[in-house]
Amino acid sequence: MSGRAGMITQRPVPGHPRPYEFPATIRTSLANGLRVMVTPMPGRALVAASLSLRTGAVDEPSEIGGATVLAARALTEGTEVRDAIALTEAAERLGASLHAESGWDATSVSLDVPATRLEPAMDLLAEVVRRPAFPGSEVERLRDERLTDLLQARADPRRRADEAYVSSIYAPVSPYHRPAGGAADTVEALTATDLRRIHASAYVPERAALVVAGDVDPEAVLRVAEALFGDWEASGSGATAVIDDTSAVTDRFIRVVHRPGAVQTEVRIGHPGLRRLHPDYHAVSVMGAILGGLFNSRLNMKLREEKGYTYGASAGFDLRRARGPFTARAAVNTDATVPALGEFLVELDRIREGLVTDPEINAARDYLVGVFPLRFETPGPVAGSLAGLFVHGLPDDELARYRTAIEAVTPDDVLRVARDHIHPERAAIVLVGDHDEFGEALAAAGIAPIDVQVDADPATAA
Amino acid sequence: MPVPVVEFSDERLPNGLRLIVAEDHLAPVVAVNLWYNVGSKHEVAGKTGFAHLFEHVMFQGSANVGKAEHMALVQAAGGTLNGTTWLDRTNYYETMPSHQLELALWLEADRMGTLLAALNQENLDNQRDVVKNEKRWSYDNRPYGSWNEKLLGHLFPPGHPYHHPTIGSMEDLDAASVDDVKAFFATWYAPNNAVLSVAGDCERAQVRAWADRYFGPIPANPVIPSLPDMSLPELIGEERREVVEDRVPLARVFFGFRTPVFGDRRFDALDLASQLLAGGKGSRLHRRLVREERLAQDVSIGLLPVIGGASAAIGSVTVRPGVDIAAAEAAYLEELEKLATELPTEDEMARAKALWEADELGALARVEERADRLSAYATLFDDPALINTLLPRYLAVTAEQVRDAARAVFRADNRVVVTYIPRPGDQPADVADDEEAA
Repeated sequence: MSGRAGMITQRPVPGHPRPYEFPATIRTSLANGLRVMVTPMPGRALVAASLSLRTGAVDEPSEIGGATVLAARALTEGTEVRDAIALTEAAERLGASLHAESGWDATSVSLDVPATRLEPAMDLLAEVVRRPAFPGSEVERLRDERLTDLLQARADPRRRADEAYVSSIYAPVSPYHRPAGGAADTVEALTATDLRRIHASAYVPERAALVVAGDVDPEAVLRVAEALFGDWEASGSGATAVIDDTSAVTDRFIRVVHRPGAVQTEVRIGHPGLRRLHPDYHAVSVMGAILGGLFNSRLNMKLREEKGYTYGASAGFDLRRARGPFTARAAVNTDATVPALGEFLVELDRIREGLVTDPEINAARDYLVGVFPLRFETPGPVAGSLAGLFVHGLPDDELARYRTAIEAVTPDDVLRVARDHIHPERAAIVLVGDHDEFGEALAAAGIAPIDVQVDADPATAA
Repeated sequence: MPVPVVEFSDERLPNGLRLIVAEDHLAPVVAVNLWYNVGSKHEVAGKTGFAHLFEHVMFQGSANVGKAEHMALVQAAGGTLNGTTWLDRTNYYETMPSHQLELALWLEADRMGTLLAALNQENLDNQRDVVKNEKRWSYDNRPYGSWNEKLLGHLFPPGHPYHHPTIGSMEDLDAASVDDVKAFFATWYAPNNAVLSVAGDCERAQVRAWADRYFGPIPANPVIPSLPDMSLPELIGEERREVVEDRVPLARVFFGFRTPVFGDRRFDALDLASQLLAGGKGSRLHRRLVREERLAQDVSIGLLPVIGGASAAIGSVTVRPGVDIAAAEAAYLEELEKLATELPTEDEMARAKALWEADELGALARVEERADRLSAYATLFDDPALINTLLPRYLAVTAEQVRDAARAVFRADNRVVVTYIPRPGDQPADVADDEEAA
């Protein structure tokens, strides 16, 4: 190709990489079992601190589905010492943002605060974790907001697709069958008593880790940890129950949620995947990057850069304490629904049928290894990763050996894990879009049995 | 806690490319950020959405880089990247492990210098389809998805460059030709219409040498067109209202007010006002509408940081099931009017500023954000030092300035009210919580 006079046509070669190690972390435990991790990061004046609990929506009894997420939200709605507004104002005066949330696996109360005000801010964090009041009126309001949010989720095509997808791939007996924040039938009955029950049983030091990263003096942080959490009474048990992740997918099937007039179809394809602790973790990370993780992944190059069917196609594994979903996804223009589905299935088969090329595996490994220092530039992600290790019960050196483990993945490994963990022949295909437009072509394509549902009026659906 | 000062160099290559370098060796990462002074405000009638479509074309290859290879090379080098287009500008950025900086500079230079060598109809058609799907995904197939277009349409008169949204219209995207792309490139993608910022683990002299080597041969465009006069009256002059039926379960009211531009001190005061009104749980709108009176599912207000003639404050309230829309709207507007008549308390001001300062501390810790800010302030204000001086300016805003700015802007004859209501059939017939339905 012609260029321009004087332009340098030759690609630069990389310089010498500056050695990078995940920042050294001091690890200890208090007598009550609370894990404490401190990562000094000199020069990082905005400190990240979090108290993470190995308790999430998977751990709650199904009849109070949604209680764990609601309990976390309610933590900052008032304590035995002060109400929600006083709490917020106290944090704001310190320039601190205090945030509590639960997901499937864990609950965390996190704090970002300038280093000079870490100690008073940690006081607030401890107050929220140990002495929440769960005021009845605030809990009611949060519950109503959640119910209203569920109404909105049904109106939003992508949230509707996500919800229809998980309820299609997990058996009703599995907590993963429903949203982590709970479905309306259980949420509407939740009370402050349910949230107190969650707090009393699951907020215990044996399930908790305090992580602090930033420009801090570790000795000082350890002293504060002891002062704030040393008298947190051990419960005698940190054990969590077995999680039921039973699949509902035995054969391939298509479920259409009909939305007349929709200009795009939200596509979800897959089945339960694997748990975070699976020994194939690193090989699956490389395989996922090639199939649907990188910009230049097979799915994105085919569906976006070649066909123009979508703004972006991807695939990945949600790695949880039990088998989270494997999902291939895209939003495609309505006309392209059936051809896009064909391309998805071709790629899901192809990754299982032959070895990936050297350029493909090099790009994926180099990306995952190379991006590692970028991920941990600031305290927030460092603290988040350490909390993640604790939640999953991973060894202390997991992050230190990550790059070596990724570099060791071979094309044979990729093929093996694709065959073991991707199953297009028993995948659910969920489509949220205008069935009037693509229904005939979909039936003619003969991909799988089709079930079409029309959303009821939101009034009755809620 | 004082936010650390960002030290930087600021120079120009002979071809006009402005180069700003901020060294910081804390982490082995470096950010490259290139702002082109061209955005959707430079588009003319019949060619809306073009600046953004062009941004996509910039990833389709150049003389020495294949289609989508820019992304592949950066990711394989362990980097992250993207490009974005907005009303005032287009930017492209890479964050790299520091030993891969030279690659990012070469890639940016190759497309600035030789994009047209790789341009063809097939790539343009492909990216046109991608962008149309981006529009569907981001706007057309989303609840309340047309709010941006509606508000801009009312806030800025027809013919004003901010009247239309950056994504443009399907018709204009369909009409874009290869010749349009060529002309757009020749006009705007010149070194003297760009600012290149590099922040992080690098050496200034080395960056300059690489910039000379890779960007140096690209000629300037001596005739960058100037924008039409964008000035507008300070007030809209009337209340403009529109009601939109949409596939939504809850009504939502969007508000727009015309404001002074980003860079004006009154804009600083309004930014602080937004924080007092809707910045978190302790803020006035949240406290009253969400917590105390339970009229709203959520509330928001924020400013558009744009510089052409006028900017806007844009807010919303999502109305809870069973609540009278007019009551929610009235409560929202009352809080704005209150701020326009009574001084905020000292404690409110202090809290807002403490949060602001902490946010800034967090934002500037990332090299990607530093590089973006340096390019932004150089492009918009010819003043990259704002990276250090903007925060003190905000911290100096007084309660009186907040009240006065609010009084000048939050007026009935300066507002747009766009109300989304559930289409018949999408409305919850019975609310989730009966006791609050009354």
